[in-house]
Amino acid sequence: MNPINDLLKILSDFVAGIVSGIFAFSPFLADLVTMGLAAVILCTFAALSFMGLTYVERKVVARIQDRLGPNQAGPFGLLQPIADGIKMFTKEDTTPANADRWVYNLAPLVIAIFALTTYAVLPFAPGVVGTNLNVGVFYLIAIGSGSIVAILMAGWGSNNKYALLGAFRTVAQLVGYEVPMLLNVLPVVMMAGSMSLVDIINKQTTLDGNPGIPFIVFFPLSALVFLISGIAETGRSPFDLLEAESEIVAGFHVEYSGMKFALFFLGEYVNALAVAFVFSTFFLGGYAGPILPPYVWLLLKAALIFFIFMWLRGTLPRIRIDQMHNLNWKFFVPVSIVHLVVVMALMKLFVTDPAQAEAFGGILVAPIVQAVILFVASMTVLLVSLAIAARRARVLRLQEEAILEQRRAENLAAARA
Amino acid sequence: MTVQQVLFIVISLVVLGAALFVVTTRNLFRAALMMMLAFFGIAGLFVLLEIGLFAVAQVLIYIGAISILVIFAVMLTRGMQGMVPRNSQAIGAAVTAAIIFAVLLLILGPLRVTIDLARWPVISLFAGNASPREVGGIAWTPADRAIPPVPETYIADFGRALVDLNQYLLPFLLIAFLVDVVLAGAIFIARQRRPAEVIEERRLRAEEDAEEAEAMRRASASPALPEGAVASAVDH
Repeated sequence: MNPINDLLKILSDFVAGIVSGIFAFSPFLADLVTMGLAAVILCTFAALSFMGLTYVERKVVARIQDRLGPNQAGPFGLLQPIADGIKMFTKEDTTPANADRWVYNLAPLVIAIFALTTYAVLPFAPGVVGTNLNVGVFYLIAIGSGSIVAILMAGWGSNNKYALLGAFRTVAQLVGYEVPMLLNVLPVVMMAGSMSLVDIINKQTTLDGNPGIPFIVFFPLSALVFLISGIAETGRSPFDLLEAESEIVAGFHVEYSGMKFALFFLGEYVNALAVAFVFSTFFLGGYAGPILPPYVWLLLKAALIFFIFMWLRGTLPRIRIDQMHNLNWKFFVPVSIVHLVVVMALMKLFVTDPAQAEAFGGILVAPIVQAVILFVASMTVLLVSLAIAARRARVLRLQEEAILEQRRAENLAAARA
Repeated sequence: MTVQQVLFIVISLVVLGAALFVVTTRNLFRAALMMMLAFFGIAGLFVLLEIGLFAVAQVLIYIGAISILVIFAVMLTRGMQGMVPRNSQAIGAAVTAAIIFAVLLLILGPLRVTIDLARWPVISLFAGNASPREVGGIAWTPADRAIPPVPETYIADFGRALVDLNQYLLPFLLIAFLVDVVLAGAIFIARQRRPAEVIEERRLRAEEDAEEAEAMRRASASPALPEGAVASAVDH
């Protein structure tokens, strides 16, 4: 083993060895303790990355908006997350008088739990993964829908109309954007022939005679829609109309203070980071990459995706609720379905596996050729759908103007009469 | 007891407790949340059975979709806060639940029962020549025999069974058709009217309003109203 490339694997094997030495009398207990340790380490990683990300995001967004950002606490404001943590801890922990106490107090916990359980299936390096589920992709989607429950609990339990409105918006957005997300994971799953995240990464490396092309080359449209839906799923800007402070104060967490609010905040950042990791795994090849160690590659890819999130947050204004729904139901969903059908047909027509060609027919091509064909098809669907959407938008705008014109004429006639 | 047995008992208690809470509480929102807990426990039971696919599907469909819709319905019900849900169907519900439970136990349980319809009082009129039939009795693995593990390829097997003509192709297609119909219906209900349609609707409504106004004018002009009505109107 290369000590630098397999650092994480060696470390985890070392710890597992110690634990199984201590609990030699019961393999079951040893397994349990090892898994518990892994869970604690993963949760700590997520929480620490939350602290770091708040600082980085504030600095980056400040830079984009021509401000300085945090600069008082420590050198370059590096101690700002700790100062924020102390502030959160010492704040008064309030509960509204007529709140549904159990539901109100449980909501932040539930959201943090669902956010952290995502990390159980993420592969960080070869052999370093919480658990290699054979339904990993499905698990990620299901856990993602769990945070909706927590938000509904928060919105209802607070007994506040703004919180309830925010919860309604959130649920409409999260339930809606799950559909394109799922539809665009399907090509990846079909290409990899497995729902296990490790298998998906292996398919994008040069192991087992695979071509080593990341899936973003095969399905650029899927990658784009998945990225945007992922931002919407985590409720980040420009999809942060769930907590639009100018419209509904702060949405579902308006009544929360202190550490409970911090838990919501943690849930948001941990979810966003998880989306960045998942995107890197599905479309950028996860930890696969030359020269550098695998975990560095994964972190670099995730950091790149998270930088895109921050970039969008710093530049785009918040979208309206009707724009949010139109984008999803009238553009993403139909385009994703068409794309899925096209890609499915092409993958059956141009196969790379000789055995499959033998059994089911189809034209045997080199993996590179298949990648080029799928890339061209995916880009064609994307460009054609964008052209259709632009034309349709123009027609609608003209019709709207016609209505306005007619109304103006009616008003004029009425005024004359 | 093995660990699996302990886990099974704990999860079953959670599911049963949550289910009892759902039917006894007077707070509809909490009932919906507890229903989610019960669904989650059932997902845990699937995990114990080593079929992760169904566990995850349980979470995705029952918690992520159905329960959310139930909570939405609860929240959108007007006056839900002050309302105390109460009805007189407790006995009927209990009897129905008991019957369904008995039927399920009969079909899925270890018990094998011989049903001889020809000897039943009323049904014998219609099924006089029916032969006795054995019902229920899923193959019960004795405690000393190992339970065969779930095959590694169960997801692929499940997928193939859905598209196999001899297995579940027809139900699968029917469900797909149903989902299509539902989607089309939703789109039809929520569709955006075209500007021409909007103008036409507005014109129709204006015509109706004009007719109504004309009718009212004619009615008020005619002396058909009784004297008292006019007098009381004047009083006001």
